[in-house]
Parts: sequence; structure tokens; C-alpha cells
Amino acid sequence: MSEILLDVKNLKTRFNTDDGTFRAVDDVSFNVKRGQTIGIVGESGCGKSVTSLSIMRLIQKPGTIEGGQVLFKGQDLLKLSDEKMRQIRGNEIAMIFQEPMTSLNPVYTIGDQIEEAILLHQKELSKAQARERAIKMLRIVGIPAPEKRFHEYPHQLSGGMRQRVMIALAISCNPELLIADEPTTALDVTIQAQILDLMRNLQKEFNAGMILITHDLGVVAEMCQEVAVMYAGRIVEYGTVEDIFYRPKHHYTRGLLDSIPHFETGHKLDQLKTIPGMVPSLYNLPVGCRFQDRCPAVQNDCRQTYPPLENMRGIHKAACFHPISDEVK
Amino acid sequence: MSTPLLKVENVTKSFPIHGGLFSREVASVKAVQGISFEIKKGETLGLVGESGCGKSTLGRCLIRLHDVTSGNIFYNGKDITHIKGEELREMRRKMQIIFQDPFASLNPRMTIGSILEEPLIIHNLFESAKDRQDRISQLIDLVGLRREHLNRYPHEFSGGQRQRVGIARALAVNPELIVCDEPVSALDVSIQAQVINLLMELQQKLGLTYIFIAHDLKVVEHVSNRVAVMYLGKIVEMAEAEELYRNPKHPYTKALLSAIPVPDPRGKEERIILTGDVPSPINPPSGCHFNPRCPIAIDDCKTIVPPLEEKAKDHVAACIRV
Ligand SMILES: Nc1ncnc2c1ncn2[C@@H]1O[C@H](COP(=O)(O)OP(=O)(O)OP(=O)(O)O)[C@@H](O)[C@H]1O
Ligand SMILES: Nc1ncnc2c1ncn2[C@@H]1O[C@H](COP(=O)(O)OP(=O)(O)OP(=O)(O)O)[C@@H](O)[C@H]1O
Ligand SMILES: [Mg+2]
Ligand SMILES: [Mg+2]
Repeated sequence: MSEILLDVKNLKTRFNTDDGTFRAVDDVSFNVKRGQTIGIVGESGCGKSVTSLSIMRLIQKPGTIEGGQVLFKGQDLLKLSDEKMRQIRGNEIAMIFQEPMTSLNPVYTIGDQIEEAILLHQKELSKAQARERAIKMLRIVGIPAPEKRFHEYPHQLSGGMRQRVMIALAISCNPELLIADEPTTALDVTIQAQILDLMRNLQKEFNAGMILITHDLGVVAEMCQEVAVMYAGRIVEYGTVEDIFYRPKHHYTRGLLDSIPHFETGHKLDQLKTIPGMVPSLYNLPVGCRFQDRCPAVQNDCRQTYPPLENMRGIHKAACFHPISDEVK
Repeated sequence: MSTPLLKVENVTKSFPIHGGLFSREVASVKAVQGISFEIKKGETLGLVGESGCGKSTLGRCLIRLHDVTSGNIFYNGKDITHIKGEELREMRRKMQIIFQDPFASLNPRMTIGSILEEPLIIHNLFESAKDRQDRISQLIDLVGLRREHLNRYPHEFSGGQRQRVGIARALAVNPELIVCDEPVSALDVSIQAQVINLLMELQQKLGLTYIFIAHDLKVVEHVSNRVAVMYLGKIVEMAEAEELYRNPKHPYTKALLSAIPVPDPRGKEERIILTGDVPSPINPPSGCHFNPRCPIAIDDCKTIVPPLEEKAKDHVAACIRV
């Protein structure tokens, strides 16, 4: 078995707002091995980005990391000095952010930004070498005419180009752990295929670990070995991709899989299947299972205690008192 | 035949690139190059294509957020290409956009409540503050957010929640036409399904017309009556949705359809991998723009600009090889 690169244990992140406090991430544990890709999926707002920002220690007020450990190569990132953390960030651990415009600086050209990142982490390079490498990175992520684009500002690029610039920025330092938050949502499928290929190759070459957050279950099926399904701040199911796609145990996971529009079955008047109801307010969580009001299999016990993550088979775990029985597929 | 709701004639849009000592214009990005099509009221036109091929730019030109470089846009038969002032403001109420990048399009200093109230005030839609609040509550419910969200600021939301604010804002003023620029790509599949059902329901109820830009080809197939495929500033293929997906003609469309990731760990199908560098709209290839990456290109493709011509009934494609 390969070495555990990142071990997240009982991570809890809370936000204090005017309306009260809530835990966006509530007791989340998982690990990432070298050479492995873990997918995180789940309802919008369930805490995927906050989980990754917590790992990077980028949570800002009114948020705080309340508890847990983030062990990276054995050392707890939550205990490091700010200075030490800054050195790890963008160097050993890199992140591709969900919304490019929030992480690209609008007043600098994209070339300058990549060049600066490279110089910051590879101090031995000359400015000219850094520039050369920056242009090479832009070419690798499929930006046409990179020498010209080098001098452009983020607002002059299309959505997908901005996303690729961020990917170039993140991988320019050959990180050991890459956290990719919706890295390909703004890309057309052919470029997406190219970028995913690129990420896979880099990962192989450097034996890196990867956390991939995405809504596209097709991308999960293709890229990940293991998947965590989150709901309202918690992991409700965890398993290999096959576990999740072929033998889901949690009713939320089932609902998610059923909501995918199926190719060639799509018909104009057909309604897409959805999960009825709404996620509970994080300020005001129900006692017991957080999915209870939307669950087709809800029983009394679901309203009394929160179901613990129970081992199923192999690494497969689910937090459900009345899990779905195995389906044949 | 009735007048189309929107008619686009030979629209082009270029962005100048400045450089050199005096910031002279040294080149230009030819983002949209001579696009024509029509949309009927109540119809959905899907728009797909390579990242950077000009979809958002085209969408913005149509609703006059960009001035076109040349060409004309007609709304209900009226030329709106150059309207200004009060006329433009009224037009803006009828045509809304759901932006691709929700974060960049929401004012970070305004609460969600005031973001939704603003268009109602600008367009004078309700007399009293109470009526406006009712409308806002209604909108919030419609897109599946909570009342408690109204006092919060954009940065306090997740990506998908912000996208729903953008959708609520577009719907606020009862528009007739909405350019949906990647409206669901930030949403998980269950909410995505809810939002798509909602958009389609509103379309049936209110007769809305959509231009639906998305990279998710399954979603586009589901919502669209017709689909146009763009490549480097031009439409290369357009047909009824079903026809286009069953019977793609253009080699780029074929590559696109083959690259869709399937939600099944065992289901990896053969892909057409495009080789060659992605061409640049600053300096597009001669002849057919797709020729350097096309698996079936011949020498003629480097010189002949393929016209968009009918290859089957109501099915046009720009390729001399099919
Ligand atoms: N800065 C903040 N202040 C207050 N609340 C926040 C802040 N950032 C996130 N939240 C809340 O924390 C919860 C989790 O957000 P997060 O961004 O992790 O969701 P997500 O799973 O990434 O969703 P999406 O798929 O939509 O990106 C959400 O309910 C969100 O509203
Ligand atoms: N304001 C601008 N100034 C300069 N160039 C621009 C501007 N807006 C867009 N462009 C350029 O126009 C071209 C088309 O961009 P557009 O945003 O329309 O692409 P898109 O098809 O929407 O791509 P994506 O799928 O990545 O969002 C790109 O080359 C882009 O760099
Ligand atoms: Mg997120
Ligand atoms: Mg765009």
C-alpha cells in the first residue's frame, strides 16, 4: 500500500455570522495516498470548498477551523506558523480555485502572475528562464498564442482560458498534493479531456496525490479511485468509484446519480429527476440524519440520532440506518 | 411565417490588442466572425463549442452589452443594433443574462436582498417596497434559496448558491429572452436538474426564449430545440437537437460528442482526440479554421473557406468534406 500523503482527521470549520454560527465542515475525515485521486461530490453548499480551503489554511474571518488535524506527510498543517504554511502553499500543495476571477489578480497580466509564482518557489531561476517556463505552462494547458496572451489581463480572456491560466499557475511548481476545486467546469469537453489527461500525467510523473472536487460525475468516474459524498457538512458515504456508482448505500448518493441527465434518453418534455425538498439550513439542523426530510426510506430512528459512518464492505462506508441493499447492475 | 423574436445578421465582434511604445493597436482578437441565425419566440437555442470560441461574446453582443463591430441584430423585427438611452433601457428589461462567472457579476458590497431589489427599482416595476419584498421572496423560493440568505453578502455563499442568485436576478424583471451563459455548470447534478426543470417550466408558462450556452452537452441536448456548434468565432454546424446529436456532420462536432465523459467507471469509450495546437482568434488559420486539427482535412481545406450549407433537411454544416 502506498504512503499516506494527506490525512484529514475530524476536521471542523465554523462560521460566525450575524445570524448565528454554523459548521460548514463537521467532523470530516479522509486520506489521500501518493499517486491517488480522491473525488469529493455533494450538494452545492455542502462544504466541499470550505474543506479544501481549510486544508490550505485559507479560511478567513468570520470562519475558523475549530478542531481536527490536517496531517501532511505526518506534520499537522494546522499547527504550523503562517510563514511555514506560506512556503508549503503553492509549492508542495497547490490549489486550483473554483472561481478563477477570485484568485487571479485583475491588475496584473496573466504572464506576470505565473512568472511571479514560479520565481517565488524556484528562486534559482533567472527572470528570463521564469518567463520561458511561464509561456511553456500556458502552452501546456492549451492557451493558443501564449506569447501574445502572456501580456493580457484576466478580463480579456474567456472563462475557460482563465480557468486554464489558474491550472497553469497551480501546476507550475510540481506540487506533491494538488487540490482541484471544479477545475474543468468552464471548459469544453475536448479541452477538458486534454486537461484531465495532463493532470493524470503530472500526477504519475511526480507520484502526487490529488483531491478533485467536481459536480461532473462523468469526470469522477474517469479520474478518481475513491469518492467521498458530502451532505450538509458531513461525509455521508465513502468508497471506491465502483462502490459509489454501482452499489450506493446512502439514499442521497442514489438521488444524485439519478439526477444526471442521461444521454440519448433526453426528451424535451421529460422532467429531469430531482431530489425533492431542500438541504436543511445549517443554522438549524434537524436532530438525527440531515437528509431525513428528503429521504424515501426515512424511519423514526433517523429523527433521533445521527447515523454514524458504518463500514460496509472493504473501504466502503455509509452513514445510514437503512442503507440501500445491493443492486445488481 | 411569423417574425422571429431575434434575428442576427452577419454579426462580428473584434477586440483590439494594444502594444508597443504608444499602446497602438497591434492586432485584434476576432472573437465573433460573421454569425447569422434566427430564434423564434419560446424556443431554446443551445450554443456549444470550444472554450474561447466566442460564445459569451456573442451572447453579450445580442443583448447589447457589447457593441458589435459589424452586422445587425433585430428584435421582433426592429433593428436594435444601435439603439441608445431610454430605448436601450427598455430593451434591457426584455433581455437578461445569467452570467458565467457569478462571483464577478455580483457586487460584493451589496446583500443578496439589495442585489435582487436593484433591477426592480431601476425598471420601476413595483410601486411599494412591500411589493418588491414579496417579489424577492418569491424569487428566492423559485431558485431554492432561503429567506435567511437575503441579508448575506455574495462571499458568504458557495459557488452554486451564487449562481442561483444570478438566476433569480435575471428572472426578477420578467424578461422575454434570457442569455443563459453556463447557468448550471456550478451546480451539483440534483440542483442542476431542479434549475433546468425550473427554466423549462418558466419557458412553458411564460413563453420565454433562451439562448443556452453550456459545455455540458447532455444538458444542452435536454433543454434545446436547436443547437449551434461554434468553432473559433463561427458557427460550424446547426440543426435540431436530436438530429445534431444523432447525426453530427462536422468533424469538430463529432470530436466534441466523443469527448463527453460518461458517469460510469467501466464506460470508457473510444475518443476522437484532437491533435495540434488550439488555434488563436488573433491569427486564425486560413481556409477552414478547423483544418490544422481536422482528422479528415485535405489540401483544399487550407484555402477554401467552407460555407455554412444545408447537408440534410434543416441541418447546416460548414465543411467541404461531408
Ligand atoms: N465566507 C463565508 N461566510 C459565511 N458562510 C460561508 C462562507 N463561505 C462559505 N460559507 C457557507 O458554508 C457552506 C459551505 O460552502 P462551500 O463553499 O464549502 O460549499 P461547496 O460544497 O463548495 O458548494 P458548491 O458546490 O456550490 O461550490 C455554505 O452554506 C456557504 O454558504
Ligand atoms: N473584453 C475583452 N477584451 C479582449 N478580448 C476579449 C474580451 N472578451 C473576450 N475576449 C476574447 O474573445 C475571445 C472569445 O471569448 P469568449 O469569452 O466569448 O469565449 P467563450 O466561447 O465564452 O469561452 P468559454 O467557453 O471559455 O467561456 C477570446 O479569445 C477572448 O480572449
Ligand atoms: Mg465550492
Ligand atoms: Mg464564456
